[in-house]
Amino acid sequence: MDHIALRLTNCFQTVFPNLPEGEIAAASQSNVAAWDSVAAITLVNVIEEEFGIEMDLDRLADLDSFSRIQEYLTREMQLS
Amino acid sequence: MKLTEALKILQQAPENASPFLVSLACGYTPLHVATFLGAHLQQRLADRRATVSTGVYGDVPGTLAGLKDAATHCVAAALEWADLDPRLGYREAGNWGIKALPGIISGAVAQLDRIAAAIEEIRLEIPVAVCLPSLPLPPIFHTAGWQAAEAQLALNRKVAEFAFRIGRRCSLVNSARLAEDSPPAARYDLKSDLLTGLPYTLPHAAAVASALSRLLAPLPPKKGLITDLDDTLWRGVAGEIGPENVSWDLASHSQLHGLYQKLLAALAEEGVLIGAASKNDPAVVERVFEREDLLLRPDRIFPLEIHWGAKSGSIERILRTWNISADDVVFVDDSAMELAEAANAHPGIECILFPANDYAGAYALLRRLRDLFGKPRVSEEDAIRLESIRQSAPFQAAYGEATSETFLEEAEAVVTFDFPAGDDPRALELVNKTNQFNLNGIRYGEADWKNRRTRPGAFLAIVSYRDKFGPLGKIAVLDGRQENDNLFIDTWVMSCRAFSRRIEHRCLEAMFERSAVQEMFFDFQPTPKNGPLQDFLASVSGRRPDAPFRLSRALFEEKRPRLYHRVTESPTSSNPWITSRSA
Repeated sequence: MDHIALRLTNCFQTVFPNLPEGEIAAASQSNVAAWDSVAAITLVNVIEEEFGIEMDLDRLADLDSFSRIQEYLTREMQLS
Repeated sequence: MKLTEALKILQQAPENASPFLVSLACGYTPLHVATFLGAHLQQRLADRRATVSTGVYGDVPGTLAGLKDAATHCVAAALEWADLDPRLGYREAGNWGIKALPGIISGAVAQLDRIAAAIEEIRLEIPVAVCLPSLPLPPIFHTAGWQAAEAQLALNRKVAEFAFRIGRRCSLVNSARLAEDSPPAARYDLKSDLLTGLPYTLPHAAAVASALSRLLAPLPPKKGLITDLDDTLWRGVAGEIGPENVSWDLASHSQLHGLYQKLLAALAEEGVLIGAASKNDPAVVERVFEREDLLLRPDRIFPLEIHWGAKSGSIERILRTWNISADDVVFVDDSAMELAEAANAHPGIECILFPANDYAGAYALLRRLRDLFGKPRVSEEDAIRLESIRQSAPFQAAYGEATSETFLEEAEAVVTFDFPAGDDPRALELVNKTNQFNLNGIRYGEADWKNRRTRPGAFLAIVSYRDKFGPLGKIAVLDGRQENDNLFIDTWVMSCRAFSRRIEHRCLEAMFERSAVQEMFFDFQPTPKNGPLQDFLASVSGRRPDAPFRLSRALFEEKRPRLYHRVTESPTSSNPWITSRSA
């Protein structure tokens, strides 16, 4: 697991404490019941705190799975 | 506090702990304010499980009205301008401009009235904390941002009038302190407001939640302050420059010491115990204390430990005289070495360096002391605390000596029992701040405490004491319930000022007599601090308890020493004394 994935996993564990660690990499809004609109905003803010970035809330709908967020973060970190 | 930290605090709350239910009323999307509020309360109430519930978006009066009879332990209301009129926010399409302002102001007045009325309808035993609008007003006025507009002043005045009205019922966040913790320019987040409905930046959400939690779950204030004298209470070493040359005034550039004296005098007036520990010549100090210009009058300082011995020893004797623990005390000295010696000997004591010649440091000290000793109200007992400590000195000296029986017999002591039909704020205050003579260390919120009176067979006893040396005021509380021939004591606390007078024996005797039972059950739990209570229970039961236990009347009467108090009952006592016979 790369460094970004590891830190993102920690964020998911913070926001979704009942999600087993083994299921985090495959987590998406469609298979995690607790991933509602409030959790989505909380997740974004926790990721912002963890990575020291400002995420685009307008793109919240696109960031609907662990893998998509990981891709987004990888791009953002490369740009910075 | 970071959001991640707040979420982890909430996740780590003890699962089986008694819940602490908080109702949050706000017109915006509560989101992180609720998270931070829960986390801050969880930190303050480690043995509870803080749970925050929220109300309806955009309807603060409706949310508050719904809490009238709600099963909640406390209410937090975080108001914003948009709650007074949606046009005072950014999410609504209503017009701004000169023509809209009169309607906005009149609408805000009506809305404030509805909010105040809803707060006043909430049951009195439920604590309510309110944070007034904390965001900058939107640019709806015709003036430039740096000029106050008449309509803006009118709105501020209406909010101030609202605050005065509800201030009688609830606690208000100090807006000035909030501005220090969360600078106004860094509070509003337009993007978050428009996209999520939460108008706060994360730091401001944390600051508002922290401020509300401090009001809803306040930490107990410190009880005593021990101060050094030379270069602390005054500038200069009296033994070197002479008592007439030490100073604390503006002309001598030593006003910092004068301000410190003034604050200590104010604290003493509020019931804070002030003692002095100084390596000094007593005769020299006495001459300083004779000076008329001293701002902290010497009779406010008790006891005085003036000698050349170690300060840890002085603190030990002062704590014994006050009968409080080091945790309840602050020690102020200008010597880091003396502070270290005191801290080493008395873990738990809060040691603060007096910042001589450091104006910013002195300003911070004054504010820190105010925070450490701040309390929401000053009671009658606060006013007589110092005098009762002075009275206790001869009791403590006589205790254990051959003459103690004579001393107690001649004390002309009167113990008064009050079994109130309602409640008395002093009872809960005593329960929540007493450590040493405390049956189990359990603390209560106001709502929980009031609810105890509705249990079948519930009783509450408040005990007052006076003798020929003066009154001690209300010094003990017992709470419990009677079930048939059994009396259960669930709560029993007694102020440390009342030790050595056998009031505890009189309390048990009175409860046996009043209930006519042959056995009492004590919900005892050992705590790190209730050693004095354990000693007492061992003396009347023949063994040191380590868990809930029962005490027979026969054994108690066999072990009980002779009691000399006259016993009276307060005219306000309820008859019958049991406050609730049925569920």
